[in-house]
Amino acid sequence: MAAKPLYILLCSGEHEKIQMAAMTASVAAVSDRPVTVFVSMNAILAFAKGRDKDERYQGGHFSKLFKEKKVPDAIELFGQGKMLGDLRMWACSMVMDLLDWEPGDLADDLFDEVVGLTKFLSEAESGDLMTL
Amino acid sequence: MSERQVIDARGAFCPGPLMELIAALKLVGVGEEVEVLSSDKGSASDIPEWVAKVGHEVVTNDDRGGYWSIVVRKAK
Repeated sequence: MAAKPLYILLCSGEHEKIQMAAMTASVAAVSDRPVTVFVSMNAILAFAKGRDKDERYQGGHFSKLFKEKKVPDAIELFGQGKMLGDLRMWACSMVMDLLDWEPGDLADDLFDEVVGLTKFLSEAESGDLMTL
Repeated sequence: MSERQVIDARGAFCPGPLMELIAALKLVGVGEEVEVLSSDKGSASDIPEWVAKVGHEVVTNDDRGGYWSIVVRKAK
C-alpha cells in the first residue's frame, strides 16, 4: 500500500523548528512517502539566497548546538530529500509578494513553485498535515 | 561483485549517516553492500528501521565501542 502523503506547513523562523521540518521532510521522502513543504511567514526568511549559517538561522539552545556540532544543515537536508526522494518545496505566494521577492531570491534548486495557501490546503486533504 | 563501499559518517548527527547511506545505495547495484560507520546512537537504530521499511537488508550491525558498523545489502 502506498504511504499517505505528508504535508508540512512551515511558518516559524526558529532554527529548531526549521531543522525539525527538514529532518522530518527528508527522512519521510527517502522512506517512500511523498512530502510537500509549504514555507510561509518568518520561515521564508531562512531560505533567502546567499546567507551564511549565522544570518540564516536564529534560535535558542539547540540552534547553538546545531551550529557547533556536526548536525546536517537544514537547507542541505531539504535538498537531499528532493534529490533522493519525493519531496516538493512550495513558497507561499503571499509572503513572497509582501517581501517583493521573486523565485530567484530563494536558495538555489530548492523550491518547485510559488503557490497560494488555497492550493496547499486543497492538496493537503489527501494526506497528513504537520504544522511547525 | 564490486568492492564493498565504506562510508565513514562518524561525528555526524541524525539524519546525516542515514542520508549518506541512502545516497551511496542509489549508486550501487542490486545485491551489492554498503557499510556505514556511525557514532550517532540514534542512527544505530534508525538505519535498520529505514532498511526494513524500504525493503533492503541489514547484513551486520556491530557495536565497535564508540561507533557502529552497519552493513546493508541493496535488495531492489
